[in-house]
Amino acid sequence: MANDSNELKPLKTWSHLAGQRRRPSEYEIVSTNLLWSTDGDMPWALSPNIDMNKWYLKYRNQSPLKHEDWDAFRDPDELVYRTYNIKQDGQETYVDGLLDEHNRNEHDTGYGKDWLECLAKSYTPARYLIHTMQMGSAYLVQMVPASTIENCAMLQAADQLRWISRISYRTKELQKSFANLDFGGQERNRWEKDPSWQGFRKLMERTLVTYDWAEHFVALNLIAKPAIDEAFIRQLGKASRRNGDMLLALLNDAQMLDSERSRRWTKALVEFALNIEGNRTILEEWIKKWEPLGDSAIELYCDGLPDSPEASSEAKIAVKEWRQSIGL
Amino acid sequence: MALLERNEWYDIARDTNWTPTYVSQENLFPPTMSDPYQIPIDEWETFDEPYKVSFREYVRTQREKDGSAYSVKAALSRSRFYDQACEGWASVLKLHYGTVALTEYQACQFQARMVRFGPSPSMRNMATFGMLDEMRHAQLQLFFPHELVHRDRQYDWAHEAAHTNNWAVIGGRHAMDDIMMCRDAVTGSLMVSFAFETGLTNLQMIGLSTDAANMGDFTFSNLITSIQSDEARHAQLGTPTIEIMVRNGYKEDAQKILDIAFWRVWRLFSVSVGIPMDYYIPLEQRHMSFKEFMHEWVNRQYVRQVEDLGLAKPWYWQHFLDDIENHHHCQQGGIWSWRPTVWWNPPGAVGPKERQWLEKKYPGWNDSYGTYWDVITENLLADREEKTHPECVPIICNMCQIPISNRPGKAWKARPYQFEHEGRRYNFCTEPCRWIFTTDPNRYKDHETIVDRMYSGEIQPPDLDGVLKYMGIGVVSEGGRDGYNYQWIEGFRSAAAE
Repeated sequence: MANDSNELKPLKTWSHLAGQRRRPSEYEIVSTNLLWSTDGDMPWALSPNIDMNKWYLKYRNQSPLKHEDWDAFRDPDELVYRTYNIKQDGQETYVDGLLDEHNRNEHDTGYGKDWLECLAKSYTPARYLIHTMQMGSAYLVQMVPASTIENCAMLQAADQLRWISRISYRTKELQKSFANLDFGGQERNRWEKDPSWQGFRKLMERTLVTYDWAEHFVALNLIAKPAIDEAFIRQLGKASRRNGDMLLALLNDAQMLDSERSRRWTKALVEFALNIEGNRTILEEWIKKWEPLGDSAIELYCDGLPDSPEASSEAKIAVKEWRQSIGL
Repeated sequence: MALLERNEWYDIARDTNWTPTYVSQENLFPPTMSDPYQIPIDEWETFDEPYKVSFREYVRTQREKDGSAYSVKAALSRSRFYDQACEGWASVLKLHYGTVALTEYQACQFQARMVRFGPSPSMRNMATFGMLDEMRHAQLQLFFPHELVHRDRQYDWAHEAAHTNNWAVIGGRHAMDDIMMCRDAVTGSLMVSFAFETGLTNLQMIGLSTDAANMGDFTFSNLITSIQSDEARHAQLGTPTIEIMVRNGYKEDAQKILDIAFWRVWRLFSVSVGIPMDYYIPLEQRHMSFKEFMHEWVNRQYVRQVEDLGLAKPWYWQHFLDDIENHHHCQQGGIWSWRPTVWWNPPGAVGPKERQWLEKKYPGWNDSYGTYWDVITENLLADREEKTHPECVPIICNMCQIPISNRPGKAWKARPYQFEHEGRRYNFCTEPCRWIFTTDPNRYKDHETIVDRMYSGEIQPPDLDGVLKYMGIGVVSEGGRDGYNYQWIEGFRSAAAE
């Protein structure tokens, strides 16, 4: 057979990594260049005019945010599946310990009436909000143009399920302790009707129907997630410390660790995109478009927190400063 | 520990549907991505997954499973197993990793479609674990063959295959894009979770891990068993979806969806599993024939499962039973003959003892498939190796993308099943492949087979070298050769001498 086998040298790693002048890490071996739908002009091997080809062409391939080599993106944490589980198993053991300890101390019996109302209004309905981030992150998973970005989005989606589970767990505990307050029954109504949630609901519903992958990333990871971090995680955490609810404060601190990881890859992806001329304008225009929705969501939510007159302005400043810190 | 049991809070965590008011429900869940049947949302809220797991349990269990899988690998990497493993087994591994690793990774995107667009919150949560599982399977099945790439460039196909236009890859991509990547969340959950994972791959893994253990490849056996334990969990996403569809008047749709997917996966499965079981694994290590495996493990279970759900076995069941006797034997002949086009070294492996075994397992094999191998054997015995390489171009099925073939011998049945659509004639290997095309011609009509591409000018130069290069041969690695360097004909030579 007339193939070129004589020219094929032995490999030390995958051929696509062979050009690097160093040993590839486990992260690189198992995470890079894994999408087949970005190889050619047509994403999927069916007729060009079927819905799914049109969807990927429009919302991924023709996105205004451009890069000639999205596959070159790297997660700064270089997480792989097994290291994610090792880390999160450790984190979950810590959270189990918190819950167990506070349960044994009969922690919930110390809550005052006002704080219980705050938990019912501003804490337990959050499973709906966090579920929207789970859905939004999963949208990124199916639409981003590189496996290294996809992996970050996948773990971000998983993190959200983690916190939905913990909030649901706490909702059940509160329900058992305070049968008269309808914990576990009133959250959907609050999410749909209570003024303090309407900013976030509007922001997330609009984010979820933003189907261009890059604008979805901007709305979710540069506007909504940081707004939720600062309002729900940080400011509610602060309020909980002021109201003697150390359990919630520690739970939210633990949740913030996941958000910080998300911010690290978000920053890395923004920096990666900003290397290409033209992308800055696109990103800045989207931020300009989405920022008012984010700020309004923060205001509405924080204004409902007790003993937190500065919460809204602190949260808005914090998200702006963070975006500035990553060059936007 | 004063911790709540999972079942105390689990229902709260899967009570997350809400009524959107800032955007429309239809825009939030577009039918083409979510549920084209438009089954009422409160019906979807009855979705109850049979197997439940929490995030907390998931990360602990998976950490333990990974600890075990990777430690077995570490222990065995010090053994000399792969130095001594026969090329038949190496071909099983090369074929497996090349076809599976990146397919698992694309499956993350499909699971993510269910997480985003699944109409039931339970489905969205369970698919989140499914998505993570697929990430695990992709990463494991890249990490392990990467350890072998320094021995043999053909292992590079574990990563590269899906990026090439190899004919076998075109077939795999066409099927996976059809049943998995280009389906809405609801249809896809039937096709992937039920027809593909429950129907075929979950069982394939049980068979494959047994073969690996028989071969002494405990790394691979352990790896596959570990993967199978994840599949067994997330494959259960399909069952509640089928129940809801049947209850809401979409029984016929569910039946059609399953029948399409089962056939599409079967055509790949019989090549990727049937050939290794009956030809690549050395005779002494074969634990059962592919046909026995199909009848014992797949057929009875699949029929029982669909009937339990109020559906019927596929209309093409008789064709399917016939295909179990034939398809992989045809393709073993084809792949071996066109061995330079694949990335593994397929052993002919039809010496006198193997033929006795094949005749016993598949009565009539000698009078049919045997006649094909008789010619090859004669040529090899007479040192006419060059005559074992066919010069003709096969006709490729416009659905499964596999060469059209059928049982050789006295009653040679090979013929294409044809369909005219918008002035183009399409050829199919079987009636079910033709039927699938007719269910939605617009979906399939523009795809070109590898042979179409030779004639359309896409492959340049349109000669043998050009075609091989187009398929990644001589680019990613050298192509295949007989895995046993024709040693299997020696039994005939000594018989002739006697």
